[in-house]
Amino acid sequence: MPREADPSTNEQAFLLSALRENIRLDGRALDAYRPISLSFGEDYGTADVRIGKTRVRATISADVVTPFVDRKFDGVFTISTELSPMASPAFEVGRQDQTEILLSRILEKTVRRSGALDTESLCIVAGQKCFHIRADIHVMDHDGNLVDASCLALIAALLHFRRPDVEIKGEEVTVFSVREREPVKLAMQHQPFCVTTSCYEEGTILLHDATLLEEQCREGDVLISMNKFGEICQIAKYGGAPMDGLSILTCTNTVLERVKIFDQLVKDRIAEDEKRRDVGGLIAELSAENDR
Amino acid sequence: MPLDTSTYSLAHLRVDGRRWNELRRVHGQISTQAAADGSSYFEMGNTKIICTIAGPQEQRRGGNSGQSHDAKVEVEIGIAGFSGVDRKRRGRNDKRIQEMQHAIASAFTHTLFTHLYPHSTITIHLHVLSQDGALLAACINAATLALIDAGIPMSDYTAACTTGSTASYASNDEAADPLLDLNSMEEQELPFLTLGTSGGDDQVSLLIMETRVQATRLEAMVSVGLDGCRQIRSLLDGIVRAHGKKVLEARVT
Repeated sequence: MPREADPSTNEQAFLLSALRENIRLDGRALDAYRPISLSFGEDYGTADVRIGKTRVRATISADVVTPFVDRKFDGVFTISTELSPMASPAFEVGRQDQTEILLSRILEKTVRRSGALDTESLCIVAGQKCFHIRADIHVMDHDGNLVDASCLALIAALLHFRRPDVEIKGEEVTVFSVREREPVKLAMQHQPFCVTTSCYEEGTILLHDATLLEEQCREGDVLISMNKFGEICQIAKYGGAPMDGLSILTCTNTVLERVKIFDQLVKDRIAEDEKRRDVGGLIAELSAENDR
Repeated sequence: MPLDTSTYSLAHLRVDGRRWNELRRVHGQISTQAAADGSSYFEMGNTKIICTIAGPQEQRRGGNSGQSHDAKVEVEIGIAGFSGVDRKRRGRNDKRIQEMQHAIASAFTHTLFTHLYPHSTITIHLHVLSQDGALLAACINAATLALIDAGIPMSDYTAACTTGSTASYASNDEAADPLLDLNSMEEQELPFLTLGTSGGDDQVSLLIMETRVQATRLEAMVSVGLDGCRQIRSLLDGIVRAHGKKVLEARVT
């Protein structure tokens, strides 16, 4: 069982003493993120997020299945996370890792339980046919802050994805391919984003977007998911160093600011991507002057 | 609708007749299992849990043996098939349970003096006999009692309870009341959080919320939760003192 080697005592002491003077090893402010890049793939529904050296790719796919018996009017939405050895030598194929369980639980709670995706809109024929939206999260590089990066990638991919259009005539259902009909966007009710706050020195020093080294040295963390309307979708503080009740409340305010930035970032990138794809309607697309 | 909000606003009484800041009956026993190193039985309303502690004992053969200078805290939760309303088998690999195990383990890793027991493990076994809300909170309280019985030094009690809010996430209702210690019917329809405190006033060691709620609601919920944890802590303290007295009296006679 490979296990991430703990950082050496010297490294830890250096990092912590620097933090005590409000200095991070990479020179960022305590609440600053590393540069975030968000790009979309050629297909609908793939988003690639890089936060510093951390890289996560989310892929959405849809197929038609029969709905669950107890949820006849709802489509199916599943999120699967995979941590491959590509991301870090500490991850192993097939073995369920603590990091993986927590990551998938947080995504589940943030996106699925909070009802970000309207699953009722995925229903085609009640009790018989519905769409199954599947989100695959692949972590390609792990340098800390996996949860925030994965959540950002997932939301961006869901917003970018288009499912095939369907037509219902009586009992007959036709699913149109991308060529036949313009695919349709998913119905998103809100866009939650997760922000991790790491705490040091008995909860007196709080910072955002910890790198892997900072994560290994931290005493505790608070994961808060919010949307831009100021609704908290999920809070998870699993043990660790105790924090003041009040500082958790102030945490939510800084998280909200960050979530608004994330929301704007995703919106801008989606708009850019749409502009790039838009060739100017059917007339322009069918023009004889186009490349063959 | 189990908690009819209209009746609540009329009489300010909940489905089981409690007011907003009242806990359910809390009952705890220490040293219930003779074979275990430490054990307890804990009830919060109809949520019933037996906790047994094994350890500190030699580390089981694992990958990182010989590396750690602290004791490792392991948690195993077994939810009995008959504990809920509908009989549902939960596998060992249920992620929700694994998440709870992780939360409890890391909460206690910080309060227990694990550095006194190098190269060893402390295993907390939790058996859920009956569920009626506040499952995680009851597990934590039961584990606190059992760890005290096992005689493992710790800095403070870890006490936990749940709080909810009468407003659903959709409505932006200003008149919403926070509620203390929800039962399972209330948990199903109201936003709620589990709060665990340890080490002095208002020190939150664990906070888990899974439902959507307006951020402005949080402050009231957390402050009511802190108050609830204070009550739970004094109840736990009472249980421990009563048990200690009984043990001492048995020794005298």
